[in-house]
Amino acid sequence: MNGAVPALRIDRLVKRYGDFTAVDGISFDVAEGEFFGLLGPNGAGKTTTINAIVGLAHITGGAISLFGYDTVRDWRAARRQVGLAPQEYNFDRYLNIRDVLIFQAGYYGIRGKAVERRADMLLERFDLASKAKLVYTKLSGGMKRRLTLARALIHEPRLVILDEPTAGVDVELRLELWSMLRELNTKGTTIILTTHYLEEAEELCDRIGIIQTGKLVALETTQKLIGDGSLQDVFLELTRR
Amino acid sequence: MIVNAVGFQTLVQREMVRTFSIINQVIWPPVIQTLLYVFIFGFGLGSRINSVNGVSYAQFLIPGLIMLQLIDQTYSESSSSVFQGRFMNSIQELLIAPLSAIEIVLGYVVAGVVRAIFIALLITALGAALVHAYPTNWGLYVLTIVLVAVLFSSLGIIFGLLAEKFDHIAVLTTFFITPLVFVGGVFTSLQLLPPLLQKVSLVNPMFYMIDVFRNSYIGIGDVSLWLSLTIVTLLAVSAFSVALGMTAAGYKLRT
Repeated sequence: MNGAVPALRIDRLVKRYGDFTAVDGISFDVAEGEFFGLLGPNGAGKTTTINAIVGLAHITGGAISLFGYDTVRDWRAARRQVGLAPQEYNFDRYLNIRDVLIFQAGYYGIRGKAVERRADMLLERFDLASKAKLVYTKLSGGMKRRLTLARALIHEPRLVILDEPTAGVDVELRLELWSMLRELNTKGTTIILTTHYLEEAEELCDRIGIIQTGKLVALETTQKLIGDGSLQDVFLELTRR
Repeated sequence: MIVNAVGFQTLVQREMVRTFSIINQVIWPPVIQTLLYVFIFGFGLGSRINSVNGVSYAQFLIPGLIMLQLIDQTYSESSSSVFQGRFMNSIQELLIAPLSAIEIVLGYVVAGVVRAIFIALLITALGAALVHAYPTNWGLYVLTIVLVAVLFSSLGIIFGLLAEKFDHIAVLTTFFITPLVFVGGVFTSLQLLPPLLQKVSLVNPMFYMIDVFRNSYIGIGDVSLWLSLTIVTLLAVSAFSVALGMTAAGYKLRT
């Protein structure tokens, strides 16, 4: 890491639900422009960490900053930096998909012709332009997945968090999404990816952090982490209970 | 207070899109029900009553019916929108955006007020056309609608947050709102009730809402205008504060 302000800094993050500690003092930075993988078995604390970053979970202890903005003190500025593509399809069912994008930009305080043009551009880029006037329930699974990504990008965030972006999609769409994500990263957007597909993390991520029972058990470049073996071997070794 | 004005306006606009996409649930039922009440009670039973508080029974009925529909629709729309957002997780679109609790709560409440004014104007037009009932004090008319809409939109947010299933939202409507509104003076003047029921009516908050609103039509009420306005204002401010506190605390919104 160089001395520049990191895209994400997590400092001794703790999140407890009653007596249960979901995240137990993890710390790591993600540099601007990095493609970072956050891996771990189910219930390890990945989604809780993501929720804490985007403000969906209250922090019990520690601090998170996005491009230098503290997510509690400077929450408005911090939230403008990040776009979330959640695993589930949580679109507004009363809006057509073009309006899903335009209204999402509105919540971020952006509106006007520029937003409409960006919405149209994203719909075009994600091959959804012909469906612009449909509500999301009329889309196929793959289209919904692409819409999730388009919505996360509508306010031009500098950091995008993708929670299982290829869960439940076929191989062809997965490869297509990989290509889109690579392109996005190449253009300078920092990406944090959680996935259960280890080959996906291996293929896309510059660096990987592995969480197990709320603790960070590995934080290395993908190359170093894998060494001569495979990510699957390393992952199983580190997360064996 | 409102920093992200565009975000707040977008939420209001979103709520209006929702309202007009389910117009058969939100807008037409109050109009149709009012028509039925006017025909059955106003023209049917009302023809046997000379006058109430100086106006025909049908004219007396109109402001009460407006309040009845307004209270019901404002609460059910606000509660179901919040609950549905939680249930479908689409409310996360708001929660991850740079929107404060006050911007979110005001978004729902202002949308509730706009919806209430729209419904009230439709029924008012109906009342004018059918029984020649017109508001005589438009300032009081609008003020009462705003206060009542703030109160019931806020209650809608509160119950939309508390509810674990759709059925829970109906608890307030079924056991409190509907019975209290019906006995709160929609159909009768306080003076027509027996002395004991008159006293009981005075602890019914709906009575003050209906009485102050009727005052905007016929210029007189069963109790002091200022007492009614004070009670309605206090209730609206209290409910808004609770809704704001729950949203700011992230109650059932943020883990």
